[in-house]
Amino acid sequence: MTVGSQVKTCYATLKSIEAGLDLLQASTTEQGLKTTIDETSRLIKIARQDIHQQIIHIDKQEPQYKS
Amino acid sequence: MPEWISIIIRSVILITVLFFFVKWLGAKQLSQLNIFETISGIVLGGIAAFHTVDPYNSFYYALLAMFVWFIAAFTIEKLSLKSKRIRDFTDGKSTVFIQNGKVMEENLKKEGYSTDDLLEKLRNNDQFLVSDVEFAVLEPTGELNVLPKRENRPITLKDLNITPAPDKEPQTVIADGNILLEPLANASLNPTWLEAELEKQNVTIDNVFLGQVDHQGQLFLDLYDDHIAVPEPAQSALLLASMKKCQADLELFALATDNPQAKELYDRNQKRLQEAVRRMEPYLK
Repeated sequence: MTVGSQVKTCYATLKSIEAGLDLLQASTTEQGLKTTIDETSRLIKIARQDIHQQIIHIDKQEPQYKS
Repeated sequence: MPEWISIIIRSVILITVLFFFVKWLGAKQLSQLNIFETISGIVLGGIAAFHTVDPYNSFYYALLAMFVWFIAAFTIEKLSLKSKRIRDFTDGKSTVFIQNGKVMEENLKKEGYSTDDLLEKLRNNDQFLVSDVEFAVLEPTGELNVLPKRENRPITLKDLNITPAPDKEPQTVIADGNILLEPLANASLNPTWLEAELEKQNVTIDNVFLGQVDHQGQLFLDLYDDHIAVPEPAQSALLLASMKKCQADLELFALATDNPQAKELYDRNQKRLQEAVRRMEPYLK
């Protein structure tokens, strides 16, 4: 597995975490948990966008491995 | 009227009367009754028993006597709820046996407790050394309640400075194959959700003996057919695990790369994930 595809796997996991948090957010009625999820999912979102930039960068550097 | 019929009729009526009197007098445990309540309870039972087996006694006398005893007990109970003084008189006061780690010998003597009795009561409370006890009080019911010294108390999350996630009571939403609507509403869920959840786990409602929802909205099921394996609710554990995995991956990338810019980026996001895990961990455990 190239580094590029490893980073892409990680990006996919981040997306799945974000969706999982959204699911939990929708199913819980507890106010404390709701605000914590809000904060956490903001963090995850920033991280995901950052990693996305990195993926674009990697793809540009090694176009022969682009998938 | 033959005597045996008279006895049957008396029994049935007195059982009903006694049942309602005791019910109205309150639902206290036998051990929690004060002296007066105990006496009136015994007397009510005695009157009922006496008049049941003796068909020659006037039945109205039985009802009258029971009514008087009931009214007396009832009034005293209501009065003692209102006034502290009457309560002290009927229920008795509690007596301090150990204060600031020192045994109050006077109070022991007053209540008729010997050293052995005191030690036995302390041992009942898992205290084998008097020096471990800060405060001990004998309740009017004859029970000894013990406050151990600070260092001997069981450790709590507060002592460890851990903030636990708030926890709500679970709701039982399925019992004996029937959906219970009221607990379901208490958990702010609806039958449609429950049906979808059952479909996800591939079971029919008739097969469910017991279903409970925890505060995170996860459903636990116990089936009549114990051969069918039901997955334990693992949604939140899975989420936490994938967050941890992602964090570890990013850390690995940061170590593997030689490019300082990329290293910085992975490191930054690794820290974000770490923070996210730290925040969510108490809720997802």
